[in-house]
Amino acid sequence: MSHPRPTRRRLAAAAGVAAASALALAACSGGTPSGAATLDPEAKVTITWWTGQADEAETILEGLADEFEKLHPNVTVDVSSGAPSTEDLLQKLSAGFAGGTYPDVSYAYGSWASELAGSERTLDITEQVKDPAVGWDELPAAARQTAQPGGGATIGFPAVVDNLSLIYNTTVFDAAGVEHPTADWSWDDFRAAAKRLTDPATNTFGYGYSVSGSEETTWQFWPHLWQNGGEILSDDEKTATFDDAAGVRALTLLRDMAVDDKSVYLDQTDTKAAELFASDRIGMITSGPWTLYDLQTKGTKYGVVPLPGTDGNHETVSGPDLWVLFDHHDANRAHWSYELLRWLTDPAQDVRWNVAYGNLPLRDSETSSPEFQAQVEAMPGLDVMAENMVNTKHARPTVDGYVKLSEAIGTAISQVLQGQGEPAQALQQAAQTATQALGG
Amino acid sequence: MRPRSWRRSALTPSAHAQPAGPAAAPARTPERRRGPRKDRARRALTGWGFVSPAMLVVLGLSILPAVWAFVLSLQDWNGFSTPVGVGADNYRRLVTDTDLHAAVGHTLFYTVLFVPASVLLGLGLALLLNRSLFLVGVYRTAIFLPFVASAAATGILTTYLFNPQFGLANTVLRALHLPQQAWLEDPSQAMVVIALMSLWGQAAFTTVIYLAALQDIPTELTEAARIDGCNRWQAFWHVTFPQLAPVTVFCTVWQTIGAIQLFDLVYTTTRGGPLNATETIVYYLWQTAFKGLEFGYASAVAYGLFAVTLVITLGVVLYSRRAKVQAF
Repeated sequence: MSHPRPTRRRLAAAAGVAAASALALAACSGGTPSGAATLDPEAKVTITWWTGQADEAETILEGLADEFEKLHPNVTVDVSSGAPSTEDLLQKLSAGFAGGTYPDVSYAYGSWASELAGSERTLDITEQVKDPAVGWDELPAAARQTAQPGGGATIGFPAVVDNLSLIYNTTVFDAAGVEHPTADWSWDDFRAAAKRLTDPATNTFGYGYSVSGSEETTWQFWPHLWQNGGEILSDDEKTATFDDAAGVRALTLLRDMAVDDKSVYLDQTDTKAAELFASDRIGMITSGPWTLYDLQTKGTKYGVVPLPGTDGNHETVSGPDLWVLFDHHDANRAHWSYELLRWLTDPAQDVRWNVAYGNLPLRDSETSSPEFQAQVEAMPGLDVMAENMVNTKHARPTVDGYVKLSEAIGTAISQVLQGQGEPAQALQQAAQTATQALGG
Repeated sequence: MRPRSWRRSALTPSAHAQPAGPAAAPARTPERRRGPRKDRARRALTGWGFVSPAMLVVLGLSILPAVWAFVLSLQDWNGFSTPVGVGADNYRRLVTDTDLHAAVGHTLFYTVLFVPASVLLGLGLALLLNRSLFLVGVYRTAIFLPFVASAAATGILTTYLFNPQFGLANTVLRALHLPQQAWLEDPSQAMVVIALMSLWGQAAFTTVIYLAALQDIPTELTEAARIDGCNRWQAFWHVTFPQLAPVTVFCTVWQTIGAIQLFDLVYTTTRGGPLNATETIVYYLWQTAFKGLEFGYASAVAYGLFAVTLVITLGVVLYSRRAKVQAF
């Protein structure tokens, strides 16, 4: 039989267990040991590197880390992917900050830059990268701006650069008897071709556009806005300005194609359009280097040209990713983390990592390397995309409210393309929401 | 062998005479001097020793995060910067946030579609399966299989099945010369399709519960009713169904709680689209926290949802106690 026990004692015991586990948890997170205040390049040092990569990419980077250790025997690079997927790195970093165990170097999407800088746990390498030996100015402008969110501290190096180019499916074009796109197409040429490629009987569409309302929906729209002379934000970055005449013109083109011509496959998922393109159901998509690999695997016949232009302006958008450096108040770790990235992003190493993996080279100078030529051989069109980097003139904003802004305009675009609402009104409403989020 | 402490404790409060042997008597004397207090403490320690591993897991993985989420719900935090205390601001925002209200509407719509359907379908299937049929074991397995499949797999399957251009559903309609539907890509149909897909998996659950309950009902009762002149329907409605009342209450509450927490099917099929038509409360919460990086506000939404779930559960428990339906 049970003997009922006084409640107070039970509570006390529970509190005891709670306290014990809290202590245990506190012990786990621990305090960071104080680091070296002055630099000693000969001192033994261990740096942690989260790559955010998997499979082949991770193997390449681990090989390079080994090589770096051989070059500098006093340095140990503790390299791992850091999280199951690149996307999960953000949560992992956030948890790491809370627990006090974060890496020295981590991969990061460009869109996280302002949040990471706001954590006050990043290093500032603005002065160091002024050294001409770094070749900082040869990196694409959009990537450099992303590494320096809000124009303040430079929190790391560009890791991967890309841009949107027009990829066309030659099988679909030839079946419809439409001439292939050229580098000096206008959006009117593009619209006319999309209309001719569309055939409801075979479920074939001229173009594919994501209407999930995510950043995929949003960033595909920026080249249209910029080519029409519009800007996302005002100069003080407090007001969203994408709802002006340029924005309305840009969205009207897409709306007319989707609603009037019905030549656009409206993708609710961000991924299906590329799949349909690969299986010859969509004639054209606007995408980046990562698509070429899948097209190769599936044996799709395709060609690549820069985006169509507005009055000869073929501006595109770039979504650069970063290697971010984190501060551990240790001069030696800071020094070697920086050195690792400087070495990794140097053309000599970049051709063995980005180029070997099928990404675009970080610097234009690498396009003449035999490594890049071999990749172009394997994935035709990669050279066009590399050349298209000159058309990345604007960087996506790296302000705190960008996430909300992206969501607002993404929703507006999705609504208009699905026949709900008019461009001007939808953009105006989105701009209001965005401005609120920007604190303007 | 019985543990000594067990025997001792059984003997300690003995005021009455125990016919103990001469060998047992000296053993009991020091025990009495140590008193029941120490003895109890020892038993308590043993008890805590057994429960503490599970307790640590519960504390570490449920209680602590819940407390932390509550603290977060009073702050403005993007996961990286220093959190700023904002008092009840996040909770005030719940009242004015039109996106959240839309999400609540979508969730209610889904609940209304899903809960009655899953309970009725479960009952119907259980009645069909609760008889001696040829290959009844095969049918039961077939009904239960979708419940074992993960929601992620179900979701991916749905997108293929209901793809407007290439899906099986539209191919069937085409063969029947019926108009093509946009299914998951039509804001007015998407939630219905999701409800259908979750029914496919979840009706199995209610079926199994009802089947177990049906097999607990003594056949004498229905037989007696039939002898007394009831027809089949009357026997079901006046004899069988009242016996199933506790199970019905349980299924309804369980499915309602599941329905207002719908996330996985939405995540794998529509991601809240088209045009936010399938954005449920939990999906909105997830989106706010992990895409919008508003952890404070998302925690407030989570606590709001928790409060609603708690009220529903308490309400039903109280009702069933008063109505003498022992569901919990």
